[in-house]
Amino acid sequence: MKENEWKVNHLIFGFSVGAIASYMLLSSSFVSSESVYMLIIFNFLFVSLTFPLDGTLTRKISMLLIGNIIGLFWNYLFSLFAYTVAYYLGDFFNTVYIILSPFVNFIWIVSFWSISLTALTNSKDEKQRLRLDN
Amino acid sequence: MITEILETLFLILTALMIAYLTRHYIFTLTVLKNHQKHEKATTVGNAAYQPTVSILIPALNEEKVIGRILQRMTELTYPKDKMEIIVIDDGSTDDTGKIAEQCSKAHSYIKVIHRSEKEGGRGKASTLNAGLKHAKGEIILCFDADYYPQRDILEKLTKEFADPKVGAVQGRVTVLNEPQNIVTRLVTLERIGGYRVDQQARDSLGLITQLGGTVAGLRRDLLESLGRWDESILAEDTDITFRVYLAGYKIRYVNEAECYEEAVESWRAYWKQRYRWAKGHMQCAFKHSLKVLKSSNLRFREKVDGLLLLNVYFMPILALLSWIISVPLFFLKPPPWFGIFWVSIPISIYSFVGNFAPFFEVGIGAYLDGRTRAQWLIPLLIFTFLYNIPICTKALIDLLISKIFRRNGNHWAKTVHSGNGNSYIMS
Repeated sequence: MKENEWKVNHLIFGFSVGAIASYMLLSSSFVSSESVYMLIIFNFLFVSLTFPLDGTLTRKISMLLIGNIIGLFWNYLFSLFAYTVAYYLGDFFNTVYIILSPFVNFIWIVSFWSISLTALTNSKDEKQRLRLDN
Repeated sequence: MITEILETLFLILTALMIAYLTRHYIFTLTVLKNHQKHEKATTVGNAAYQPTVSILIPALNEEKVIGRILQRMTELTYPKDKMEIIVIDDGSTDDTGKIAEQCSKAHSYIKVIHRSEKEGGRGKASTLNAGLKHAKGEIILCFDADYYPQRDILEKLTKEFADPKVGAVQGRVTVLNEPQNIVTRLVTLERIGGYRVDQQARDSLGLITQLGGTVAGLRRDLLESLGRWDESILAEDTDITFRVYLAGYKIRYVNEAECYEEAVESWRAYWKQRYRWAKGHMQCAFKHSLKVLKSSNLRFREKVDGLLLLNVYFMPILALLSWIISVPLFFLKPPPWFGIFWVSIPISIYSFVGNFAPFFEVGIGAYLDGRTRAQWLIPLLIFTFLYNIPICTKALIDLLISKIFRRNGNHWAKTVHSGNGNSYIMS
């Protein structure tokens, strides 16, 4: 497959996997609705913007699944932390948690997306940007 | 009753943010999709079309960088008999004028105009208008003194004027002193998102391509007919962009016409520069929003994009407001759709940074440029967003105060250039 080519087959396959993962998350009663929405947004953005890029389909699918696992784990850890702190600090922390949770949740999405993109960027393209004497 | 008001307000604000997000998502997809096609298309241009050009270089206390750009101007490949360079020494108190005069003596096509300290320092629009009086070229190009263009940049920019519908052209701005510190690195990311993806997509989709005030060219007759640059507006570039479109002309963006700038190196300098941009952009929003809506020269999609572009500096304030409103709403009586909108706020926050390119747009821009390491810094863009909230809020308050009390609140805070970019130029 040529470089820089719009990889439609990757995109279709990625959306299929993303849709299945999102459906499983929606059906699950163990994950909070905010976390599910976050992961659906992540799946949509990740598939639509990274699957058309260069790189093998296996790598992309692996990263999508790792992203979902990290997202679930992040939410699980964060909610455990929130419950523990709320136990000692009371309802005040619950309020802080509710206000900040979407934002804290989003930090992993941007970070993971950024790292994944780095992995997909072909190393041979990495070069000094100064093309002064073209 | 309070709940209903909050609900409506929250819904409007988040809908606005989602509109911006969707716009940038479309931009990103467009650039990705056109990547290969565009690379091929832009290498073919009407190189035979070489009009006479006048290059305006406004300079106020630029002794550390003026020699560099003038030296570079002598190295441009454009026919020297078809170009003139006009340095407008805007009342400098340092050696800017002397350095420019020395270059002028060595090269006949370099002219220097000196303004007194009393005349100078009134802003870029005033300086450019002073230079325009002496310009003779068919095309007027503007370069800031801290810029460093590619040798064939004029050929790349002027070829677009072969199309009579094109009134202006914009080249790409890239940061020269990127490795300097974290501020210059983050500004680099903003520039990548803003030019490589945002401007490129707007050009491809036939929307409103924005003139950036530098690395930009305009038809001289059009500029004269529009009444030159408006000296009452701090963002003279955004203002002239909309006046060009309202007059029925188009602006082209040429991604391969790259020019290197010395980005601001401190948070303080970032504040001053962005405050000026924010206030100037808001002035343009008040001046042009209604005209854009009523214009018969703009298509529907241009009107929508134009309005979103004009009002973009209000968004950091509105994003914060939506977050504040959502808190009582969450505890009072969250409506069924609340969850989806609630999670959309953080994405929006990552969208209204610097040049207002969302994280995914910056990331794809960096990918297309092959910038692996730069991508690692994308999560840090949150700091520039947070910094932009007080900047935009202060700009809005100051603008409203000056409007209410009919004061001229324009103060041109000049960006100081250290000349540190010299060390990054490879000969």
